[in-house]
Amino acid sequence: MAITTAPADVAVVDDAAPQREFRRLPWVSFAVIAVLALVAVLAPLIATHSPTEQSLPDKLRPPAWQEGGSTKHLLGTDLLGRDVFSRLVYGARVSLTVAMFALLSGGLIGLAIGILAGYAGGRTDSALMRIVDATLTFPTILIALVLAVSLGAGLGTIVLAITVIIWARFARVVRGEVLTVKTRDFVALARVHGCSHVRIMAIHIVPNVLNTFMVLMTLHIGFVIIVEASLSFLGAGIPPPTPSWGQMVADGRSHIASAWWLSALPGAAIMLVVLSFNLFGDWLRDWLDPRLRQV
Amino acid sequence: MRIRRPVVLLGLLAMLGLAAGVAPATAQDRDTLVIALDTLGAMVMDPIADTRAPHAHYHAPVWDSLVGFDFDKGGIGPGVAERWEGAPDGKSWTFHLRKGLKFHNGDPVTAHDVKFSLERKMSPESIASGAAALRRAIDKIDVVDDHTVRVHTKGVIPHFVASLSRAVFMEGTVMPKKYIESVGVKGFREKPIGSGPWKFVRLVPGDRIEYEAVTTPHWRGTPQFKRMVLLLVPEQSTRIAMVRTGEASIASIGPDAIKEAQAGGMRIVSVPGTMQAVYQFWGTYKPEAKGSPVTDVRVREALSLAIDRQQIIDHVMGKQARWPIAFATFRYSSDVTIPRWEDWAKTSLRYDPARAKKLLADAGYPNGFKLTFWNTALPGTPFMVQIGEAVAGFWEKIGVKVEMKTVEWGVFDPQTRGEQKGLAATASMYRTAGRPEPAPRYTTFTSKGVQHIFGDTKDCPALCQEVDKVYESVVSEKDDARRLAATNKMLEVVANSWMAVPIVEGVGLWAVNPKRVGQFKPIPGRHEFGDVAERMPRADQKPW
Amino acid sequence: MQRFILRRFFQSLVVLLVVAVVVFALARVTGNAADLLLPEDAGREDREHLLKALGLDRPMHEQLARFLKGALSGDLGMSIRYRKPAVEVFFERLPNTLTLVPIALLSAIVISIPLGLLAAVYRGTIIDRVSGAIAVLGIATPSFWLGIVLIYIFSIQLGWLPSARMGGPAHYILPTITLAAFLVAGMMRLVRSSVLEVLNSEFVKLARIKGLSQTVVIWKHCLRNALIPVVTLFGVFFALLVTGAIVTETVFAWPGVGRLTYEAVIFRDYPLLQAVILLKAMIVLGVNLAVDILYAYLDPRVRYS
Repeated sequence: MAITTAPADVAVVDDAAPQREFRRLPWVSFAVIAVLALVAVLAPLIATHSPTEQSLPDKLRPPAWQEGGSTKHLLGTDLLGRDVFSRLVYGARVSLTVAMFALLSGGLIGLAIGILAGYAGGRTDSALMRIVDATLTFPTILIALVLAVSLGAGLGTIVLAITVIIWARFARVVRGEVLTVKTRDFVALARVHGCSHVRIMAIHIVPNVLNTFMVLMTLHIGFVIIVEASLSFLGAGIPPPTPSWGQMVADGRSHIASAWWLSALPGAAIMLVVLSFNLFGDWLRDWLDPRLRQV
Repeated sequence: MRIRRPVVLLGLLAMLGLAAGVAPATAQDRDTLVIALDTLGAMVMDPIADTRAPHAHYHAPVWDSLVGFDFDKGGIGPGVAERWEGAPDGKSWTFHLRKGLKFHNGDPVTAHDVKFSLERKMSPESIASGAAALRRAIDKIDVVDDHTVRVHTKGVIPHFVASLSRAVFMEGTVMPKKYIESVGVKGFREKPIGSGPWKFVRLVPGDRIEYEAVTTPHWRGTPQFKRMVLLLVPEQSTRIAMVRTGEASIASIGPDAIKEAQAGGMRIVSVPGTMQAVYQFWGTYKPEAKGSPVTDVRVREALSLAIDRQQIIDHVMGKQARWPIAFATFRYSSDVTIPRWEDWAKTSLRYDPARAKKLLADAGYPNGFKLTFWNTALPGTPFMVQIGEAVAGFWEKIGVKVEMKTVEWGVFDPQTRGEQKGLAATASMYRTAGRPEPAPRYTTFTSKGVQHIFGDTKDCPALCQEVDKVYESVVSEKDDARRLAATNKMLEVVANSWMAVPIVEGVGLWAVNPKRVGQFKPIPGRHEFGDVAERMPRADQKPW
Repeated sequence: MQRFILRRFFQSLVVLLVVAVVVFALARVTGNAADLLLPEDAGREDREHLLKALGLDRPMHEQLARFLKGALSGDLGMSIRYRKPAVEVFFERLPNTLTLVPIALLSAIVISIPLGLLAAVYRGTIIDRVSGAIAVLGIATPSFWLGIVLIYIFSIQLGWLPSARMGGPAHYILPTITLAAFLVAGMMRLVRSSVLEVLNSEFVKLARIKGLSQTVVIWKHCLRNALIPVVTLFGVFFALLVTGAIVTETVFAWPGVGRLTYEAVIFRDYPLLQAVILLKAMIVLGVNLAVDILYAYLDPRVRYS
């Protein structure tokens, strides 16, 4: 499975750079993300065709600007004569939905477990971290397949599979953060004032790791989209006919010479999104918390 | 700015380091036939340790089969046994072996080896595809003389001989008795010998198997290449790239890759009649299916009329497929009247959406209905999923709301065993493999069969009882004419039920680099090239 | 120190046990090998026979007990598909992965260090952004597609490199790039931040005051320090690659352990799957343990945390 980004559990404290840098908002990334969100929401209005309607005699038409293409199918058609443009548009919806839900669920579970482990320390920490270790040694494909069997292949299954993979990554980083926050004076002070553990975690710890969490989220969107694509390649992705970018790239990979648009267009879309979210995430990181360099 | 230089230097160094290792893509040696395959099964060089398709890929070059092929038509023909005859009572078969045939160590192939091989195939440790069937069939095996062997069957089994041909299964593989007994199973698996046209040289796990051609003339054909290498290359686009660059001479491909392979200047070789893609309905007799539209035969016929098979052949299968005939029946099938079923298929399997809509309306579903459709592909034929998608597309066009569930085969298959919970009143993709006799495949419809789609032993409605009866009359009939009539009848009952419906007759596809390999003719129905490689000419040689 | 090592060792054992039990259960939920080996017209009898021949007819708890007992004595059972001890199958393939991974790792380092260095030195400028973008490109492309596109360009169109399979040095280039691509982004970030840190440190400031040129400062002081976190995380990166090479190995027909894992899943070869995952987990944990111990040795604070 494609395992991206460095393990993010080493946070370097950059105290020597106290000045907060306001890097300019990366407008291009921002615009890409905004347009994409719009496309996903308004998919039915933008798409020129149904993403699943087939027309076999029209299969493998090239994009409009190429010889043999027509404006009827702006970006050409796929192996079953479906409109590539419309599939890309709906695919944005599917891929982003998967990314959003997987990140939210995986991220929140990771956040909760990371805080618990880091704050409680001792045996609890040890036990939870061993579970994290164990999770990280499993191949994603196995988890995805198991879930596909017990729940049936589908969007929900993929979300769940990615959740299972991703929570451990979040938990690790968050725990590391909590360990440093915990030693700060205000936590000790709160303890002295008789605050309950739950209250301390909720009021003092959570806000202090939220920045890290947000940055992790933006940086992992790309990871999720790529994992979804890799699962499609290995035959455990979002089942057809539902269009998703990853699956479109996987389906088109055998036709690079004869029909480049099948995989190159969704591939470019993925690249653009991952790039945008990463640049956005970098900016967010610098803006929110210049201390944090490693996530 | 001054830091640039060292950085650039470092980059250059890195590039140099990489470039030092660069050599031009190695030119392939002309004496070696390299075949890139999507699967090499378990890569165990022992005929009892793998299943049918892998066997035909990588065991077949080394071992011969007791019963062989009809090279032109497909179906069975002479093998290690030159001829055979059945006893008048139909309960035993006598095989007369080819004389002068030798194993790779020089030992002659005798009737003892045949007896030993059949018994080994039936042994408990054998996982060969038809081992259980063989155990059910064989009573005892007598060695009459060195070149004659007689097999006594339990009851009358007219299809027994066919089951010993690689055209059907792999049970007829002839292994060296003396050698295995002297080196043991482990020794045999490490240094296997057989009597085939290729000698085993080396196996690299997960990567390749190497062979060397025999130098003396072989009855299956004497190889034109000195060596053969079978490569395991799981990714199709990589296989195509390798044939294009000459790293491989031949690669197995799917219909979706025809265009890509042709664009790369490759020749497409298609093997006719390797499979039939079908869809079938499950558990329509079950209480859970009550009231479901697909329990109505008119609805089922409508669903077939909605499919434009020619479009699937032209566009999904890249024109490399044929109009199917009856379920599990091919042009080379025995026991059936082929022209009659060709006619039937032409009219009954036609594309007629208007009539389909009318039938739906007659059945009370003018606005369509919801149907769960399991879209799955059996191992070796991944393109079934695309056929399934196309079929669902046609059904949608007559107003059926298809709820398509695309599942991996390993996930779908267990559901079809036993209770078949969750399958009732649903449809699924399925396949029938290219075999000479349709009868064994019709166990799908009998109440005792694994799939029992007409009814089970507890609940066997009229249609199910009818099939049970006609099936019995086919499998125990030793008179050819009567068996022909009974088989036709069986096909008719199933065809009229519209319960398991042929979509297209599939072909096995290969991309061939024309600069490496000349024209050759595959064996109809036999997708794998384990029995073909020895007759492949070099590019500059006469076609075979 | 000894107590620390011992504790970490036992923790690793616990993780292994958790992994073993979970993988045992997970594998069995996904169907069984017998169904995949049977031809489509197999009868009930054929299936029962095959289940028995494969030892899959026993009750679940018995299979688990046998598996755990065997595992303790180093016997992880026979692979259903390959008919050989699963451990043997794994170690047949491991060297193939182990020849690829270090090269990929080294390439990733060779690419990320200059990128990270540039980004740090020109922090906040366009150069920083561009190097960041280049690094991210590696994780912005699905690696199977990257591999296929590389084959198309370098093997088919240019004819420079072989398209797949193990072989001479040339065979390593494309898989290496594909595998290294997804490490670059993370490593580059790591280098960038540690260089930033060093650049702002007192001793670099001092060096500058002393009038040393920028080049000397960067090469002598920054680079060495920048390498420390990369080296520290070497083990982790290594483990990531060993477990994460499924896709690359599939595309390049590389007979390594990633591909083996995938096959074990697809064919429901339980004993092999159990063995592969356990052994991989062992490698990962072993490497982590070694790194931890080394770390604890270098930095005494870790021991008491």
